[in-house]
Amino acid sequence: MDTFLQIVANGLMLGGLFAIVAVGLTLIFGIVKVINFAHGEFLMVGMYLTFLLSTGLDVHPYLTAAAVAPALFVLGALTQRLLIQPLMSARDEHVQIFATVGLSTALMNLALLVFGADIANTPAHGVRSQVMLGEVRILTGQLWVFGAAILLVIALQLFMKKTRTGRAIRATAQNRAAARLMGINDKFIYVLTFGLGAACVGLGSSLIAPLYPTSPTIGTYFVLIAFVCVVLGGLGSIPGAFFGALVIGLVDALSGFYIGSDLREAVVFTIFLLILILKPSGLFGTRMTQSHVSP
Amino acid sequence: MTETTSMTQASGGGLSAQKLGLIAVAVLLAGLIAVPVAVGDEFVYHIFITICIFAALSTAWNIVGGYAGQLSLGHAIFYGIGGYAGVILVNFGISPWFGMFAGAAVAVVAAIVVSWPCFRLHGPFFALATIAFLEVFRVLALHFRDLTGGATGLMIQLNIGWEWMVFRERFPALLIAFGMLLVCLAVAWAIRSHRLGFYLVATRERESAAKAAGVGTVKVRLMAVSVSAALSAMVGTFHAMYLTFIEPESMFSLQFSIQIAMFALIGGIGTVWGPLLGAVLLVPITEFARGALGSEAIGLHGFVYGVVLMLVVLFLPNGIMGVVHRFTSSSEKTEGEQAAPVAAAPRSAVPHEPGREVMRVEGLQKHFGGLHVTNDVGFTLREGEILGVIGPNGAGKTTVFNMLSGFLKPDQGRVSVLSPSGEWQEPATPADFATLGVGRTFQIVQPFAAMTVEENIMVGAFHRHPHVGDAREAARETAHRMGLGPYLNAEAASLTIGGLKRLEVARVMAMEPRILLLDEVMAGINQTDVRRAVDLMLSIRDTGVSIIAIEHVMQAVMSLSDRVIVINSGQIIAQGDPQKVVRDPQVIEAYLGKEFTHA
Repeated sequence: MDTFLQIVANGLMLGGLFAIVAVGLTLIFGIVKVINFAHGEFLMVGMYLTFLLSTGLDVHPYLTAAAVAPALFVLGALTQRLLIQPLMSARDEHVQIFATVGLSTALMNLALLVFGADIANTPAHGVRSQVMLGEVRILTGQLWVFGAAILLVIALQLFMKKTRTGRAIRATAQNRAAARLMGINDKFIYVLTFGLGAACVGLGSSLIAPLYPTSPTIGTYFVLIAFVCVVLGGLGSIPGAFFGALVIGLVDALSGFYIGSDLREAVVFTIFLLILILKPSGLFGTRMTQSHVSP
Repeated sequence: MTETTSMTQASGGGLSAQKLGLIAVAVLLAGLIAVPVAVGDEFVYHIFITICIFAALSTAWNIVGGYAGQLSLGHAIFYGIGGYAGVILVNFGISPWFGMFAGAAVAVVAAIVVSWPCFRLHGPFFALATIAFLEVFRVLALHFRDLTGGATGLMIQLNIGWEWMVFRERFPALLIAFGMLLVCLAVAWAIRSHRLGFYLVATRERESAAKAAGVGTVKVRLMAVSVSAALSAMVGTFHAMYLTFIEPESMFSLQFSIQIAMFALIGGIGTVWGPLLGAVLLVPITEFARGALGSEAIGLHGFVYGVVLMLVVLFLPNGIMGVVHRFTSSSEKTEGEQAAPVAAAPRSAVPHEPGREVMRVEGLQKHFGGLHVTNDVGFTLREGEILGVIGPNGAGKTTVFNMLSGFLKPDQGRVSVLSPSGEWQEPATPADFATLGVGRTFQIVQPFAAMTVEENIMVGAFHRHPHVGDAREAARETAHRMGLGPYLNAEAASLTIGGLKRLEVARVMAMEPRILLLDEVMAGINQTDVRRAVDLMLSIRDTGVSIIAIEHVMQAVMSLSDRVIVINSGQIIAQGDPQKVVRDPQVIEAYLGKEFTHA
C-alpha cells in the first residue's frame, strides 16, 4: 500500500510537471490554431537560460524566471510575427506544420552546436531535498512545480475570463472575422497569445531545470508528452490540459511500475492514439472550431 | 501548386519545356553515377549513395505526404521495419534480396494498421498520430531484445557478395542504391500520371467532391500508403546492409522521418522530381559538414536544415520545383484555345415524355439533435424527367440531397435506384451512388483548387474512362460543351464564381450520370448564363438523363421542370405541375407569410 501511495504521489508530481509544459501549448493551439512543434525547444531554451543565469550570477534558479519568462515571451512573439503570421492564410496546413518543425530542428541543433551533446546540470539550491508527506516522499522542487502549475492555470483562467484583453483573445479564437469587425486587432492578439504561451513554458523551464538535466534533445521528450496531455484534456482547454497532465503522470508512474519502465511510453502513446482516433475532442473537451479561417 | 503545372505542360503546348525537363532529370540521374565513378573517392561514393537513399525514401514519402496530402512524420516506421526484417533474416542465412520483400510485406500491414484509423485526422493531427505510432514502434523495438537486440542494436554477419548486398568496394552499393531510386521514381511517376494520382490529388483537395465523383477515397489512400511503405521498407533493408549495424534509436528516429519529409518539401511537395532535387541539394551539405568539420560541427547540418526549411516555407512554398516552373512558364506563351464558348447542342423538336421510374425515395426521416430536418419525404423520379425542388432557405432541401447521394444516412426510410441492368438497389455510400450513375453537384462549389480545369473534369471522366488519354478526351469534350474550352489549362482556383458553377456541373457531366442532382447551380449567375444553363439542362434531359434540381431562380424552375416538389420545414407541402404548385396557398404562405395567401 505504501508503495502504491508513493507511486500515485510520484505520478501526480510528474503530472504537475507535464502540466506546466502543456498549458502554454494548449493556449497557443486554442487561440492561434497552430500546433507548435517547437514548444519543446522553447522549454529547452528556457532551461539553458536558467542554467546560464543561475550558474553565472550564482542565484537560485527560481529567481531567473523573472528574466527567462520575458525572454521566452519575446521568442514566442517573434515566432508568431515572423514565422507563423505570414503563413496564417496558407491554404495547405502542411506549411504551418513544417514551419514549426523547421524551427524545432533549428533550435535543437543550435543548442547542440553551442553546448555540445553533454548535459548541463542546473544547481539545485535545495529543491532536490526530500520532504515526507505522511508516508510518501516528495522532492520540494516537485511540490513547487505542482503549486506553480495550479496557480498558472488559475491565473490564466482569470485573465481569459475577467480582463478585456482576455475577452478579446477568446473572441478572436471563436471567430476571427467577427472579432476583427468588432475592432479587435487580431494580429496583435495572436502575437500576444503566442508570447504568453511561450512565457508559460519559460516559467516552467526555470522550475524544471534544477530537477532535470538539461540537454539539447530534452524538449522532444517533453513536447510529445505535452501533446498527449493537451489532446487528452481537449485541445485548447487550459484546465483540460492540467487534468490531462495529471492523468498522464499517473499512467506513466503506474505503468512504469506495473508493466515495465521501458514500456511506459508505449502505454502513454497508445492511450494518446486511442483518444485521438476515438474521441478527438478529448476526455474533458467540448467541440471547438479548429481553424482560424472563419466558416 | 506545382503538380498542376507539370501536368499542364504534359498535356498542353509546352512540349519543348517538358523535353528540356526530362533531359535535365536524365543528366542529374546520370551524374549520380558518373561523378563518384569519375572522382573515385570513397567519401564521394558514400555521399552519392546517401543521396540516392534519401532521394528514394523522400520520393516514396511524397506519394503519401505529397500526392495524398497525408503528412506523415512517422515514415521511419516503414524504413525501420525493412531494416530489421533484412538484418534479422540475414542472420538466419536468408539473403536480403528476399528479406526486403518480407520487410515490405510487414511494412504494408503496419501501414494499413497505422493509417486506416488515422485517415479521419487531418493536417497536424495526422502528423501527431504518425509521430505517436513511431514512438510506440521505437519503444517496442527497444523492448523486444530477443528479436531486435534492444538498445545494443544488431550487427549483420559479414558475408560479402551480391547475394548479401555487402561489398568491399563502394561501386556495387551505389548501383543498388541508384537502382532503388530509379524504382521509386518510376513508381511515383506512374502513379502521378495515371488515374490513381488524379484520385489522390482530388481526395487531398476536396474529399467530399472526390467522393461524389465516385472516388473510393479511403481505398486510394490505403493504396498510396501501402506502396509508399513497401518502397520505404525495401530501401530500409538495403540501407541496413550498407550500414551493417542498426539500432532502434536510428531506425525509428523522429529526426530521420522529418528529414525525409523535409527533402520533399524543399524540392517541391507533390511533384514527381521535387524530392530528388531536395535530396541532391541538401544531403551533400550534411555529409560535408560531418566529414570536413567532424565533431566540432555537431548540430551544424541540422541547424542548416531547420533554417532552410523555414525559409523555404516562408518564401518558396512550392519548393524548388515551384521556382523551376515559374521560370519555364514565363518563357513560353500559353497557347490558349480561343474557341468561343459553345452553346448547348440544339434541342430535338420531339415532344418529351418521361419514361419508367429510375429512383424511389420513401419515407425519409432525419434528425440533427432535436431538429427534425427531414420529415417523411418521399417521391419518385422517372427516366428523362426534370424534377424541380424548391422551398425557403433552411427548409432542408440540401439535407434531402445529401441522403439521395449517400453523404448522409437517413434515420428512417430508403432510397432505391434502378441499376442499368434493371434491378432496384439501395446504395449506401457516395461511391455506391456514383457506381449506379447518380452524380451530384454541391451548393457551395467544391473545385479541386490545385488542379487545372481539365484535370478537374478528368476526375469525373475517370468514372467511365479509366485510361488517362480517354478521360482527357472526354473531359475536353465536356468542357467545350459547358463553355469552359478556353480555360482548360487554367487553375480551377482562378475561375470566377460563374465559371466554378459550370465546372461543378462539367465534372459531374463527365461522369455520364443517369441521374443528375443539381444543387442551386444557377444561384448567383447572370441572366444570359441562366438561359444557357436552362438550354443545357434540357439538352441533357433529352439524352435520357433524369435531373433533380434544387433551384431558387423561379424563371428557371418554371421553364425547366416537368414536376415540382416544394419542401418547407423538412416536409413536402406540395408537388405536381409547376404552374399549379406556385398558386398553391400553402406554398405562397411558406414563401411570403400568411397575409399573402389571398393576394
